[in-house]
Order: sequence, then C-alpha cells, then structure tokens
Amino acid sequence: MRKRIIKKIFFYIILFLLWEGLVLLKFWPEYIFPSPIKVFKTMIAGLQDLTFLIAIGISLRRILIGYGISILFGGSLGLLMSKFKSIDDTLCGLILGLQTLPSICWLPLSLLWFGLNERAIIFVVIMGALFSITIATDSGIKNVSPLYIKAGRNMGGRRFRLFLYVIIPAALPSIISGLKQGWSFAWRSLMAGELLFVNLGLGYLLMMGRELNDMSQVIAVMLIIALISIFVDKLILGRIELSIRRKWGTG
Amino acid sequence: MTNNMVILKLENISKYFIGRNGKLPVLKNINLEIEEGEFLCIVGPSGCGKTTLLNIIAGLERSNSGVVLHKGKSVDMASPERILIFQELGLFPWLTVQKNVEFGLRLKKISSKEREKIALEYLDMVNLIKFKSAYIHELSGGMKQRVALARALAINPEVLLMDEPFTSLDAQTRDILHVEIQKIWSITKKTIVFVTHNVREAVCLGNRVIVFSSTPTEIKAIFRVDLERPRHIEDHGLMEIARLVLSELKFEIEKVFEEEFSAKTDN
Repeated sequence: MRKRIIKKIFFYIILFLLWEGLVLLKFWPEYIFPSPIKVFKTMIAGLQDLTFLIAIGISLRRILIGYGISILFGGSLGLLMSKFKSIDDTLCGLILGLQTLPSICWLPLSLLWFGLNERAIIFVVIMGALFSITIATDSGIKNVSPLYIKAGRNMGGRRFRLFLYVIIPAALPSIISGLKQGWSFAWRSLMAGELLFVNLGLGYLLMMGRELNDMSQVIAVMLIIALISIFVDKLILGRIELSIRRKWGTG
Repeated sequence: MTNNMVILKLENISKYFIGRNGKLPVLKNINLEIEEGEFLCIVGPSGCGKTTLLNIIAGLERSNSGVVLHKGKSVDMASPERILIFQELGLFPWLTVQKNVEFGLRLKKISSKEREKIALEYLDMVNLIKFKSAYIHELSGGMKQRVALARALAINPEVLLMDEPFTSLDAQTRDILHVEIQKIWSITKKTIVFVTHNVREAVCLGNRVIVFSSTPTEIKAIFRVDLERPRHIEDHGLMEIARLVLSELKFEIEKVFEEEFSAKTDN
C-alpha cells in the first residue's frame, strides 16, 4: 500500500518536471503552453476571488438536481419495467435506442422547449443519466437469483417487504454500477451543455478562458472538472461499490 | 413415537412438468403421514422429484393434484411454519451471519433487541457465535450449513424441510454435522423431513426412511429405524439396515441408468 502511494507521488513529480522542463525549453510560447506553476497560481487566484468557486457551485447544483431526478425517475422506470412485462416489452427497445443517443443531442430540443435557462441544461443532464440507471435497475432486479426470492418468501416475505429486504439488496451491485455509469454520462453532458450554451458554470469558465486567450485558466478549469469527477466517481460511488463487493466477496 | 399426532398429511400428491415431449410425470400419488416430532428421511434416485416434493410441502410450488395438510389445514402458500433449507442454502450475501439468522424474525416484526437475543441463542447452538459479524463468503461450506440451520431454527417453524443439505461437504464435516443435527433435533423436538441420496445418512438420521422409486415417483418402501441415538454413520447395526434400504434403492437407480442409456441410443 505505502509502496503504491510512493510510486504514485513519484509519477506525478516526474510529470510535473517534464511539463516544467518543456516550458523552460520554450518549444511553444507561454500563452499556448503555460507552466504548471502559472496554472496553479491561476487556480488559486480563481478560487480566492470566488469566480471559480461560484462556477463550481453552479455546476454542482445543476448536476445534483439533474442526477437526482435521473436516479428518481430512472430507478422507478427500471422498477416498473422489471415488474410489468407489457411495459418492458414496449419500452425496452426504445430505451436502449435512446441510450445510444449522446445526451448533448437533446440540447436543441431542450432550448426550444424551455428557453435559455437552467431548466434546459438540467433537462440535458437528466437525459444523460436516465437511461443507464433505468437499464441497470431493470436488469439488476430481473437477475436476482430466484433462490433468494424463494428463501425470502419461505421466511414470510410478501410483496413490499420481500422487495425491500430481498430484491433491492440483491439487485444493488448492478444498480450501483448503473449509477456510476449514469454519473459519468451526466457530468459529460453537463460540461458539453455549459460549453455550448454559455451561461455560468465550469463549462462557461472554460469557454471564457478561450475567449480571453488565457491558456492557464483553460487548463486550471479542466483540472477542476476532472477532479470533481474523480471525487464523486471514486470517493463516493466507488466507496459504496467497494463496500458492497466486500460483503458479497466479489471484490 | 407412534402415538404422536400427525402434523403433515400428503394426500395423492401428483406433479408433472411440461417438457418438449409433452407431460413429464414426476410425482405420482404420493400418500404419506408425518408425525409431529418425527425425523423422516427420504431417499431416492437422482431426478426422482424429491426436491419438488419438498417445495410442494413448503408451499413454494403447487402440485397438479392432491393436497398437503399441515395440522389439517390445506397448504396453498409458503409459510414460516414450514422452513425449507435449500440445497444451495440461499443465504443472503449482503447480510452478516447474525443478520441472516435474524432475517425471518425481522419479517415477523420482532423488536431488534429480541431478535438479537434469539439469533445469538441459535448461533450458539450451532457453535458460530464467534462468526456472527462475518459475511457469508467468508465461511466454509460446513459453517454455511450451520448458518442456514440457525436461520431456519430462529424462526421456530413447526416443520423443518432439508434438501440434501450435506451433499457438498467433505466426509469429516458431514460426520460432525450428523452429530449436531441429531443433537439439535433432540433439543428442539422439531419435525424434520430430510431428503438425501445417501442411504447411510438417511438411516443414521431418520426414525423412518422412505425409499422413492424412479420417476414417476411412488413410495417404494418404508423402513423404521429404532436404533439408539446419537448414531454414527459407521455403526454396525446401522449398516445392516442401510444394506436393506440400499437393496430396494439399487433396483431403482439401475432403472434410471437403463432409461438414460436407452434414451441416448434412441437419439
């Protein structure tokens, strides 16, 4: 474990030195290829004068609302599909089809429906995560071993309690991987949306960096976007997934 | 033993499956009375519908005709009064050992304090207190068996149905569990219906041993075993009876083989 951490730190130091070295060699002018120190300074300055913090706050608010709604609707839709065969038969193909559509393709429609406002961009985020969560919930529930259901029924489990105590926990590993996939789709669509439809948020800040010809801001914002994504994916959802896999003995 | 009340009564139980070649009869007119507190063992050739019969008794599957009466009431759905320990156990991997044992009590809406008390009592009975916080995948095969047994006993069912529970275990573990299950039976006085394909195991555990024929399954023979307990699978008297049972069963097993082989050559 410690060896791995040391290796990682070493790797990033080398990366940093390489980057700094390339800057010092002056292959490219500084406004195209800024030094890591300059990027870092920009990041600190942006956080200090609140422009970055506000952008982070706005983007996080959008993703939380959009992703939250996706979980709610995707979960319910997946549940209905797993329970009612006619819903499954009719919706399944459509949902698989819609999932292949990159969610940013919903932006024009969304702008026409909602206008240039928050709802338009949240709609795109919802469409990004909704179908992966639906499909994962549906297949997770369908693939619960009949043995667990039988055991639950035998011990007195009926309908709701059987569902709550047996089916949901048994389907959880699959649902969690759907949530992870949904998260990365939602985050990507939010960034794409913010880039195209410029109105605050991290994507907007990225675009502004381009317009001001400020490469250090562009890179700093890119780093922030990646860091947030890693934080949620690895530290929140990844942790939940790991704890489930430990219990099941599959990780 | 013989004066005990009949707890389970099977009347003309028949069951068929629909296969590619039409109806496939599995159980044919099974009539059986099981007394309260009895340890009944059923042996039969593989594929003879022993598991199906247990599922029907548990209420997890329906027969095509006939009824199962539990204390005179017809069984039409699963009930915690008849707990089936599956061959694959069906322990819940997302719960700890203790939470698995508490599961049926949670469904009965028993308070968490009371649940814990009962769970620990039965975990103690199967000598697994030390592993109460472990998850299922961390246990050995024999330990998993004992968790399944504790989980079933904690519900305090009237009837315990066991489907070849010790088949996948090594011989030493099986021996230990034979002793344990006899001990638990004598403490709890549960009615146990125990299905196995191992004749000596059946004679070792049962008050009665029922031999099933090959499909369509009928009751071929019934043996009463009045040996003293605790019995051990290597006991001399036990081997004598086992030989008698085996001679009944052997004929059926050979019949199954013949059918399988002839089916092969037909193709």
